[in-house]
Amino acid sequence: MKVDDPELYYMEGFPVPETPAPGEDPKPWIETFVIGKPLPRVDAYQRVSGSAIYPSDVSFPDMIYGVVVGSPHPNAMVERIDTSKAEKMPGVRAVITGSTAGADLTWKWPYGNSKSKLFDPHCRFEGDAVAGIAADTPYQAADAAAAVEVQYKVLPFVVDERKALDPAAPVIHGKDNHVGKPDTYERGDVNKGFAEADVVLETEYRTECLIHTPMELHGCVARWDGDRLTIWESTQGVYPVQQDVAGVLGMPLAKVRVIGHYMGGGFGSKLQAGKYTVIASLLAKATGRPVKLFLSREETFLSTGNRPPSNMKLKAGVKKDGTLTALEFTCLGTGGAYQSGGISLVDWLIRDLYTCPNVRCECNDVFINAGCARPFRAPGHPQGSWALEQTLDALAEAIKMDPVDLRLKNIPLYSQARAGDPPYTTTGLKECIEKGAAAFGWKEARKKLSQTKQEGHIRTGIGMGACLWFVGGGRPPSTIVLKLFSDGSANLNMGASDLGTGTKTVMAMVVAEELGLKIHNIQIENADTGATQYATASGGSKTVPTESPAVRAAAVEVKRQLLKIAADELKTDVQALTIRNGEILSSREPAKRIKIPDLKGLKQRGVIVGIGYRGPNPSNKWVNPFGAQFCEVKVDMRTGEIEVVRFVAAQESGRVMNRLTYDSQVIGGITMGIGLGLTEMRVLDGNETGKMCNRNWHDYKLPTALDVPREIVSVPIDPGDTEANSTGAKGLGEPVTIPTAAVIANAVYNATGIRVTETPMSPVKLCLMLAERDRRK
Amino acid sequence: MMPNFSYLRVNSLEQAVEGLTSPETRVLAGGTDLLGCLRDRIFPADKLVSITRLDKLRGIEETADGGLRIGALTTLTELIDSPKLKERFPGLAQAAGEAASPQLRNQGTIGGNICQKPRCWYYRGEFHCLRKGGTLCYAFGGENQFHAIFGTDNKCCIVHPSDPSPALVAFEATVRVVGPKGTRLVPMEKFHVLPAENVEKETVLEQGEIVTEIVLPKPAAGTRSSYRKVRARRSWDFALAGVALAVAFKGDKVERARVVLSGAAPVPWRVKEVEEIVTGKKLDASTIAKAAAATVKNAQPLEHNAYKIPLFKAVMEEQLTAMAKG
Repeated sequence: MKVDDPELYYMEGFPVPETPAPGEDPKPWIETFVIGKPLPRVDAYQRVSGSAIYPSDVSFPDMIYGVVVGSPHPNAMVERIDTSKAEKMPGVRAVITGSTAGADLTWKWPYGNSKSKLFDPHCRFEGDAVAGIAADTPYQAADAAAAVEVQYKVLPFVVDERKALDPAAPVIHGKDNHVGKPDTYERGDVNKGFAEADVVLETEYRTECLIHTPMELHGCVARWDGDRLTIWESTQGVYPVQQDVAGVLGMPLAKVRVIGHYMGGGFGSKLQAGKYTVIASLLAKATGRPVKLFLSREETFLSTGNRPPSNMKLKAGVKKDGTLTALEFTCLGTGGAYQSGGISLVDWLIRDLYTCPNVRCECNDVFINAGCARPFRAPGHPQGSWALEQTLDALAEAIKMDPVDLRLKNIPLYSQARAGDPPYTTTGLKECIEKGAAAFGWKEARKKLSQTKQEGHIRTGIGMGACLWFVGGGRPPSTIVLKLFSDGSANLNMGASDLGTGTKTVMAMVVAEELGLKIHNIQIENADTGATQYATASGGSKTVPTESPAVRAAAVEVKRQLLKIAADELKTDVQALTIRNGEILSSREPAKRIKIPDLKGLKQRGVIVGIGYRGPNPSNKWVNPFGAQFCEVKVDMRTGEIEVVRFVAAQESGRVMNRLTYDSQVIGGITMGIGLGLTEMRVLDGNETGKMCNRNWHDYKLPTALDVPREIVSVPIDPGDTEANSTGAKGLGEPVTIPTAAVIANAVYNATGIRVTETPMSPVKLCLMLAERDRRK
Repeated sequence: MMPNFSYLRVNSLEQAVEGLTSPETRVLAGGTDLLGCLRDRIFPADKLVSITRLDKLRGIEETADGGLRIGALTTLTELIDSPKLKERFPGLAQAAGEAASPQLRNQGTIGGNICQKPRCWYYRGEFHCLRKGGTLCYAFGGENQFHAIFGTDNKCCIVHPSDPSPALVAFEATVRVVGPKGTRLVPMEKFHVLPAENVEKETVLEQGEIVTEIVLPKPAAGTRSSYRKVRARRSWDFALAGVALAVAFKGDKVERARVVLSGAAPVPWRVKEVEEIVTGKKLDASTIAKAAAATVKNAQPLEHNAYKIPLFKAVMEEQLTAMAKG
């Protein structure tokens, strides 16, 4: 049977789990029949055929088009704006600036305390908003934008965080470019730790700034109906957008409806409203028309977030037996022109991944004249991993130990960096490393590489690394409403967005598992503040562990009511009833059975409503995902070209809810990690202009399908987490991209003997490093 | 956002030439480069003359002397798939195959490929650079990791983006150009223009002129050829460094060699120093080492592209070594 058959073999006639007594939480599933199977996405056809309506597809007959006029300079004062020419152009219906009535608004930058004006006269980064225009066609809007005459006083800029603290650097806010006091952390005594070490290594590392560039652009359609505003936004969270827009416009939350059923990717850059959302709302109000405002691809490179660059130094001490004695880490980072978490979580892995009694971290965040950072798939972690995993690799070599064994020697059983050393509900770190190594054939590959002298200029190398993710356990609040209709079909109402990760599919599977319903009889309504329940944004790899227990609770509630109705009609004890194949039957009296649509009580009521809430996480324990990755590369020792041959990812993210979407996340995370490691970087013109050089998909080099290794093996590790939540699921989307770049770097070192400490590892760097080493020889 | 333009689809070459009435009229063939340039507003265009219906400009034919004539509208994919090309001019087929992505090769034409606009991010971006009539080349003091190490004349350091062009120069091809004054033949080596000559032009084409075909002379007996390209992104990218070779052997000795680089200079860059070293010699290790060193002897790297020195040496050594093996 094909996997895409609507009547899936594994969904035929399985017994649903026991129903807990009222007030009791459901017990962990012992055996599952739907959960964990490779079920294709419930909306796969819609997404692939183009019939899914994404926010950028939303259209109304009277809709007009908005555009943002952005500053072309990274640091400039707007001295005068003349919009008269633009206003007279054909099709133009509104031009708004900071001096337009109602547009003189305060903008709060997320992830910090920075505030500015919506249209701030001081443009502190290229692309910051100066004016908004609405016109009948996108072309007219663009022409009008070009006709707005802005007189700028162009100011000196600093776009390199490494120069931001120079006395000569222009100051972006306040008295110098420090965002605040350094972020520090300390436990034990690092000096004592280094004194105890047999080997101490100190290395500087740098990761470049990355841009999210999701497939769907950032933007929305905004429409007013009296004093009610509806926004169709490409977002990871409709409720945060509602809150941001209501806050800026001074409106009651109830009057702002945000809808985002489908969305084309965000990776952390769509966790809140953008200035564009507010500008679209203002333009819609000014014109009395629905306004569609999606930024251009180029604009999204400038103003919708990034993974900030990190300049790191890591000093590490180890004993000959592999015991880590001390880690000392510093980082200089930048979130751009406003407070935006430029160093957020960059040191977390140093603090918490490996057992180490003496740790000190100091991270400094500075302002530069560039677009603000936003969370980017595991904020901070891939950067910290780049330093930590390469250092561990170097330590292992220095003490002549297998890097796998060095890591296994230092597996913590509790979270060292959190107050009170709380244990994890489960830590699959050890198992990830062991099973991943076995699946990769690590020992054999290492032995073979050490025993054979490689001939020719193409050299093979292998590398590995491990990770954990700071959160990933989900958390309250979440409310789910599940409606079972009289024909046995169900409607699942959930506020959360599906970023394209398969959230909707996983939730439908939870309902199917619990109620024995067919997947195609479950319809999901989601991501609409007017019609679906409250949910926080889909970010932090929290969506499945947050929503799935609430969905399960709602399904259990429906089941209780359903079985009660059936027990009354079958005149039997509710305890004896179970559901199979859409039929309710008694385990004691085989004659007593009834199909769900035949229940009179259900017909009468029309619907059973079950409400589920996300309960609290276990107290005093942490729910974190773990992982280990292994890769093989081939490196051209003359040109520095790197080919990633294969990857193995052993990830512990609790229960595998859907093997197909699970593996897709693994492939996607590794692909993104390849981008960090090999090709991606933001390039700012540091000399003359401070403008971004590579704000397009040609010059900003994302890995394409042809850059992804043919062989990516996903090895799920499920230690059976019975404490995390009632489904046992943890987040996967972020942990799976954390160690990838460092793992490639370790493999490149293994192949070449050259440690590339700065991303990206392209021939631009590696060819020169290889040549310099040859020259020195 | 695309600018406004008028669109004329012609049915004959004469109509096309007549249609090219102003400097702001542009020829549209595959459109893979032109449409991007228009969207990015790199140069004005008030009229596009589409020559896509001129089927006479499509296809690969044999010439009387045993060479090939390639119509300007022949797509890169058609070049790659041509058995005649693969057999007699494998280096050119390889170069076409190394260009762009499969989708772009299906659409992009060889005529358009040799007339491409540079990919310098200052030229393509919101920078009023020298090549766009401004007063400054931003790349010399700026972000120049993908820029030229030869032929910049301290004016403009673009690299010519074409992969087939260096192979065409190596095979001593000729470009047929039709314009208001009639037809002229331009040797491929003279087709591209250095900044010293004209910093705002990449080719010798004058107002109203169209490339109609490229003629490849029959290669000398014993000719081996190749094209090798190194990219920052392996799957799809312009060249960091590329080397096109067309080398005629007599016995085990090189009789005649054409060595042309891509990703090196504002035009396909012929390195006569290498040609002279290998001509008359056996391609042994010492000759190859000398040739590799000579490749970059006169290079003038910028602040961020010094890696091109070892890279070109490496590729030259690799390719000559491979060629020596046959």
